Amino acid sequence: MIYTIASTRLGIIGDPYVPADGINVAALLSGGFIVEQSTPKPKKPAKTSTEPNEEI
Amino acid sequence: MATSTYLSNPLVTVNAVDLTDQCSAANLTRVIEALESTSFGKTARVYVGGLENSTLTLTIYNSFAASETYATLAALVGTSTTVTIKPTSAATSATNPVSTLTGCYLETLPIVNAALGALDTIDITFTGGVYSVATS
Repeated sequence: MIYTIASTRLGIIGDPYVPADGINVAALLSGGFIVEQSTPKPKKPAKTSTEPNEEI
Repeated sequence: MATSTYLSNPLVTVNAVDLTDQCSAANLTRVIEALESTSFGKTARVYVGGLENSTLTLTIYNSFAASETYATLAALVGTSTTVTIKPTSAATSATNPVSTLTGCYLETLPIVNAALGALDTIDITFTGGVYSVATS
């Protein structure tokens, strides 16, 4: 999971946040100090207009 | 002999959140429980070191605003976290070491401590955890 800083008490807003050992991430999320970023899905390959058996 | 002057101005973080500007007192005490090992034939009690049980007690101004005291502590009650404290906000060094309690436990959180004409302050105590000190 990727987290982003949302409070200056934790660091620079917008910077990625990597929790150190022993940090209670749920409490940081609950307090609004960090926000969760969804992992970007890999892009689907572009569709080709050529037929599978068609030679280019 | 001259002594160095040290004005209390520590940097305090709770669960990585900087609460320095909301904190007015901090007391970190390293405790290693004493286990009595006195045996017959001894004329004085003797002890050996047991488990470490250090504590950090903070006096904090209560605030329910966003990103303030309550938001930091509310979800920590009954859980373990990491707290740090160092003498000043200057860079960590041999003369400004940062002390850390990793995995310390917050048992109680006073919600309101109101008095007429006074700021709402609360005392919280983190207990246990592994003590470490870093100089860089």
